[in-house]
Amino acid sequence: MTDSVLSADVERKAAPGPRPKGPLVWRDMDQQELDAAYDQSKYAANQAQVQERRLVASARARAVLGEPLRLAYGAGAIEQLDVYRTTRANAPVNVFIHGGAWRNGRSADFAYLAETFVRAGAHSVILDFTNIDAAGGNLMTMAKQVRSAVAWVYKNAASFGGDPSRLHVSGHSSGGHLAGTVVAADWRKDFGLPGDVVKGALLCSGMYDLEPVRLSHRSNYVKFTDEIEQELSALRHLDRIACPLIVGYGTCETPEFQRQARDFAAAVAAAGKPVQLLVGEGYNHFEMLETLGNPYGLLGRAALAQMGIPSV
Amino acid sequence: MQEHDHPSDGGVSRRGLFAGAAAGALALTGEPAAAQRCPAPPRAKGPLVWLDLDQQELDDAYDQSVYAFNAKNIAERQAANNELALSAIGKPERVAYGPTEIEKVDIYRTKRPNAPTLIFIHGGAWQNGRSANFAVYAEPFVKAGANFVAVDFNSVRETNGDLFPLVDQCRRAVAWVHRNAASFDGNPDALYLCSRSSGSHLAGCVVVTEWAKLGVPLDVLKGAVLGSGMYDLKPVRMSKRSAYVKFTDDMEQQLSAQRHIDKINTPLVLVHGTLETPEFQRQSRDFAASLRAAGKPVQLLVAKGYNHYEVGETIGHPYAVLGRAAMEMMKLNFG
Repeated sequence: MTDSVLSADVERKAAPGPRPKGPLVWRDMDQQELDAAYDQSKYAANQAQVQERRLVASARARAVLGEPLRLAYGAGAIEQLDVYRTTRANAPVNVFIHGGAWRNGRSADFAYLAETFVRAGAHSVILDFTNIDAAGGNLMTMAKQVRSAVAWVYKNAASFGGDPSRLHVSGHSSGGHLAGTVVAADWRKDFGLPGDVVKGALLCSGMYDLEPVRLSHRSNYVKFTDEIEQELSALRHLDRIACPLIVGYGTCETPEFQRQARDFAAAVAAAGKPVQLLVGEGYNHFEMLETLGNPYGLLGRAALAQMGIPSV
Repeated sequence: MQEHDHPSDGGVSRRGLFAGAAAGALALTGEPAAAQRCPAPPRAKGPLVWLDLDQQELDDAYDQSVYAFNAKNIAERQAANNELALSAIGKPERVAYGPTEIEKVDIYRTKRPNAPTLIFIHGGAWQNGRSANFAVYAEPFVKAGANFVAVDFNSVRETNGDLFPLVDQCRRAVAWVHRNAASFDGNPDALYLCSRSSGSHLAGCVVVTEWAKLGVPLDVLKGAVLGSGMYDLKPVRMSKRSAYVKFTDDMEQQLSAQRHIDKINTPLVLVHGTLETPEFQRQSRDFAASLRAAGKPVQLLVAKGYNHYEVGETIGHPYAVLGRAAMEMMKLNFG
């Protein structure tokens, strides 16, 4: 398909010269390498362009599908969610948790993911929640919000024609981390709900062990504590996972975002739980999410199959 | 779906380093298409050879690798996605439309009887590409109730640089599909065309065909969606593509669709991305303007934030630019 194959030399010429490696801070990485491995801009050259097309596609999706129902799941102004309704009665529900390094992103700008679900016969729910800066660096606040949002959808799905017994969750990037904390939630203790509230989850390009993240520059804006690291690392709560998982990453992602997905999927499998690892050949961090918005894309196809509503 | 092997950590780091370097270079400029360009040292501009372009700028404007830094990654994922699609819809029937070995079409059949059919002409700078690579584009259409027919034809490397045989093959393939649609339960009166890149140059020539000479109706094609094509060969001839295409005055004249607008009996949708080369943006814009001026039905769609190859990927995406345009043109119920 290529008019001409990209020569690696073209990019190599612009690479910085060799730099003495500093002391290792995480596995085989020094501080600069670890920081880069948690900085998407160092690995995804077209970040701004992919965001531009996401905004265009989301505006178009809202025009095609109509504006969503906007419902409150909590008392705070941001604690609201968008429901893009399918026409089928008592339909399954997919709840999406957006990414943005825990700092950025609004539900309206991820509307482009809804069309895949709505046309296949599922409601698409896209969450708004606070950002880490507004939360004073406290990640627990964000995790509590998305967990309570999922609990709210479970209890109120019938009000918009959803089937609470077919509730699925998806998340990307830092939203993949938060979705991990959703599937690793203690539903009985914290919400008085059955342990199998979530029937399946798709976790894309996320973080499931916060230890290396805490060691990285992300500590500048996330106020990590031992408790946050422990409670919000899904990898450490495999016993609470009660649904099949799809874990995805792209081969053009940072080394750590690839490893996080691989290690989490391996640990879930070792614990005897159902998990599918999907590797997107040639996709970077941001391009991976685009495949969820296509019913025939790598993630869109897998998400619909997990929900039992394959596209046609 | 299978679990893929993952590359070694060493390979990952190397890829990352290149991407990081490219990101650094991108920060130097704010113009979107230029932002995609691979880094190049500054140089003095030479005499203008075409519009406001000097020879190197014109050569670059017909070289996708200069503007689409991720071409190799996109080729990788297209290959992986094609395997997934093949496992979902199965292998196509491969049928001859002409006497030579290459003159075959891959037919992906839908379940719906008497269905419309989308005929696809692939790109690859007239040099590369085979019909077998496009199950990934076929799946959305097959599942939405349309047949998908991918055309194989010669590479310009096999024709001594002559584009006429490629055009002739694509034209005969369309006529064959019209005459033989019933053999795969297709409706011969509901044929549509889709293409990208050099395939859209060929598709442009197809829609200006004198169909009577091939014994098929003038309106054999009910619509065409042409992505990222070339419709006037003059600047292409002046570019380094002359090194492998043996242009002649006759070829330039006959195979520039923009010069035969009176022969068009097919509504067109033209698409380009904002990150394509300046010439690949201009070719679609100017062709659309000429069609509009001649009173022919045409729609120009501009895909914001997409480069040449990323526009092509959207054929396999019912909710992105090319896929959605083709679905709407064929009035398919895509969900």
